[in-house]
Formats: sequence, structure tokens, C-alpha cells
Amino acid sequence: MSTDPSSPVLRIEGLVKRYGPHLVIDGVDLDVAAGQVVVFVGPSGTGKSTLLRCVNGLEDIQGGRILFEGQPVLSRSSAIHAVRRRIGMIFQGFNLYPHLTALQNVTLAPVKVLGEPAKDVEERARGLFRKVRLEHRAHAFPSQLSGGEQQRVAIARALAMNPHLLMFDEPTSALDPETVGDVLAVMEDLAREGRTMLVVTHEIGFARHVGDRMIFMDGGKIVEDRPPEEMIASPENPRTRQFLGSILHH
Amino acid sequence: MYEFNLAGLLPYTGPLPRAIVLTLWLSTLSILLSVAVGVLGALCRTSTSLILRWIGGAYVEVLRNIPLLVVIYLIFFGLAQVGLRVDGFNSALIALTLNAGAYMTEIFRGGLTAIPRGQYEAARSQGMTGYQLYRYVVFPQVFRIIYAPLGNLMIGIVIGSSLASVIGVEEVTTWMRRAGDETFRYMESFLAVGVIYVVLAQTINIGRIVTGRWLLSRAPIGHRR
Ligand SMILES: Nc1ncnc2c1ncn2[C@@H]1O[C@H](COP(=O)(O)OP(=O)(O)O)[C@@H](O)[C@H]1O
Ligand SMILES: [Mg+2]
Repeated sequence: MSTDPSSPVLRIEGLVKRYGPHLVIDGVDLDVAAGQVVVFVGPSGTGKSTLLRCVNGLEDIQGGRILFEGQPVLSRSSAIHAVRRRIGMIFQGFNLYPHLTALQNVTLAPVKVLGEPAKDVEERARGLFRKVRLEHRAHAFPSQLSGGEQQRVAIARALAMNPHLLMFDEPTSALDPETVGDVLAVMEDLAREGRTMLVVTHEIGFARHVGDRMIFMDGGKIVEDRPPEEMIASPENPRTRQFLGSILHH
Repeated sequence: MYEFNLAGLLPYTGPLPRAIVLTLWLSTLSILLSVAVGVLGALCRTSTSLILRWIGGAYVEVLRNIPLLVVIYLIFFGLAQVGLRVDGFNSALIALTLNAGAYMTEIFRGGLTAIPRGQYEAARSQGMTGYQLYRYVVFPQVFRIIYAPLGNLMIGIVIGSSLASVIGVEEVTTWMRRAGDETFRYMESFLAVGVIYVVLAQTINIGRIVTGRWLLSRAPIGHRR
């Protein structure tokens, strides 16, 4: 895959998403360059999850287009599988495969989807378990893991595919407060490695430490898109100010 | 005076092994075919297509509400009347499959609807094709859910196969009636066949447990715990 380093990893042009008559994404334009960490914030129901789900074609779109590494993302085409293999997604509810051990969760898709030799994948997986600081839990089943541990396994599972883009949809919202830090620490490591990341989160500390851009969404639109430090210090839009105020004083 | 004498049946045990094999064969084929029907039916019933859902629903509701005996008559005698002759064994096989398939559909559907949406999304987000998603993520989980109800239904199929006797299939129940008629040792033949059905049903049940354990113990990929 030879991609021009100057062209964006992800390009979204005039994206429109409707559920029936309900307009959820209302003309979003967005370019994400390689290595950027983009943090999305905004009130619930404003289309942040939907936007991520459109990027890997989990949702079909009604207008505009999405280019991932130069290729159009078409949710109903057979090429969509190849796109998804290069985009890792981490969900609020972890969505680990409950019938498999943590290690098997991580190795399943590289072996079955990418067709890599099981031995190689397992070795890589062991490295990933070290990276997410769970070496000792590799043989546990998801039901035996805490939320924070499950989410770190989910991150390892996504990384095992060697993705070019990572998308996190409120990865710490379902966690007990004491385990949030472990997950954020892993995510911060990934950001510092230069990974391209889209992160929906209300963890302002994360945005401040490793975010390159902070995007405030409201009503299916991008309202403000600036470096996190600036946006937090002096939000331009009154809605941004109101929203940040509400989560910062929480 | 009536005197219980199991040995009186002995001269008629010659055809019994064949009858037992036929019952086992009919039951096993019906189980395998109805599992296939059940998987298809459940995929229809949970499909996004309204037409497929309707077809699946209609199939289940119709077949669940017609006695198996009537289905057997319909296929053996009914079809013959419109010029389609199906022999006894195949009539029984089709009827058992259609009947059990309706229950299988409901069992599999219950299993499928118990799998959260997030499982499909996680698998899709990893680039799995529809086949891979069902093969490695959905069906292994469904299997664990339906494992027990499947056992009940399989035993029901073995027992239901006795109705094949009404259309002359030479299976265990037919043998029972014949042996009883010839020796007047009805009580003995009923009891003997009762025991045979318990053994056959349990054989199939143990087959299910062994296969199930084996399937569950197999890691989907090269390594184990
Ligand atoms: N599958 C769906 N069908 C219909 N409406 C949906 C569906 N998923 C999300 N929505 C609606 O789309 C809007 C945006 O949802 P979402 O993207 O989840 O927002 P956010 O992640 O910002 O909270 C909400 O109004 C939600 O009710
Ligand atoms: Mg959301």
C-alpha cells in the first residue's frame, strides 16, 4: 500500500447520514493526517459514534464520501472487508468474544481473516499483552476480567491487525473510575507512538496530553476544530463553551 | 392366567436388529436434516428481509400446529393422490424433518437473538466476512446456548420416528406390533420396545454430549490454554 505521506489517511467530504427521516450527520468535512490524534467531544446524540461507524462502513451513508488511504469506503461493497482490516475499532462495551480466551480474542482475526500463521500471530499477541500490561491474563476468559482489563484486551485485539487507523468510541465510559487510568495510559502510549487515532471521549486530560486536535460536534455538525489546549482555554463557540463548562466542572 | 414371559418373544427377534438400525438411521438423518432446516429457518427469521422473515415465521407456525402423524399422512397418502409417490421411509424422513425443523428453527433463533449486536460489530470491524463472522464468532456462542434444548428435541425425534410404523416402515414399533400379534405377548413386546427406545434415545443423547464436548474443547485457532 503506497500512500503519499502528504495525503490524509482519512478524508471525509460532505458526509450525510440519516436514519429514516432523522438527519444524524449533517454535512461533515474532515481530513485526518497520518499520526494525528483527533479527540471528539459533544453532547450525547450528536452523531459522534455514527461518524466513527460510517468511517469503517458499519453504517451506510446517504451523501458525501469517505476516503480511507485514498480508497472510497463503501459499506455494501466487497472491498469493505479490506478497509476494515486496516481500521481498528474499540467500543464502549468492549465487545470481546466471550467464548474465547483473551489470547484467542487477539489472535482470531489475524489468523482467520488475514491468514497469517498462528505461531507468528501468537508471538505478536504476547508482545501486545505486554504492551497493554496484561501478560498474566492472556489465558483468562473475558468474564474473568475487570472492565479495564477487557478494554485493554480489546485494544490488543485491534492492534493485532496492524491497523493504520484506530477508532475509540467512549472507551472508558463503561469503566469503574479506578480502572479508567490503566486504559488511558495504554491509549496515551499509542498516541505517543505516532498512531493515527480518532477518539470519542470526555476525558479532557487525555485530549490535553496527547490530542493534536479537538473537535466539538453538535447536531451532526462539526462546530469547532482546534488544538485541545486552545479549545479548552478559550472555546470560540458559545455551545462549545457551555458544553466544556459542563464536563469540566463535573 | 396371564404369565409374563419375555422368552416367548425370542423366535421373533430375527428382524429386530434391522428394525433397530432403521429407527436409528431414520432418527439420525432426521436430526441432521432438521438441524440444517433449523439453521436456515433461523437465519430467515432473523433476516433483515421482511419476506424471508415472513416465510420463516409461516413455516414454523404451520408445522408446529399440525400433528406429526398428519404430516406423515399428508406426504405418504396425500402426495400419492396428486401423483407424487414417496415411499414410506422417505415420507417419514421428510415429515420428521419438516416437523423437527420448525422446532429447530425456534431453538436456533433463540440462540441467535441472544447474541448481542456488539459481537457482530466487533467481528465486522475486524474485516470478517459474513461466513467468518458466523463460523468463528456467532455459531460457537449459539451452540453453547442451544446445546441443552437441542438434546430434548433430538430425543423427541427418536420417539417421533415410531410414527413411521403407521405407513409400514419396518422400524422398531412395527416390529413390536408384529411380534405382539404373532405371539399374543403384547405386554412383553411393548415393554421390550420401551426399553429399546430408552437405549436408542440415550445413545443419541450421549452422541450429542460427546460431539458437543469435542467441539467445545477445540480451540478455534492453533493454541489452547
Ligand atoms: N441504529 C439507529 N437507528 C436510528 N437512530 C439511530 C441509530 N443509531 C443512532 N441513532 C440516532 O442517531 C443520533 C446520533 O447517535 P450517536 O451517533 O450514537 O450519537 P453520540 O455518539 O454522539 O452520542 C441519535 O439521535 C441516535 O438516537
Ligand atoms: Mg456515542
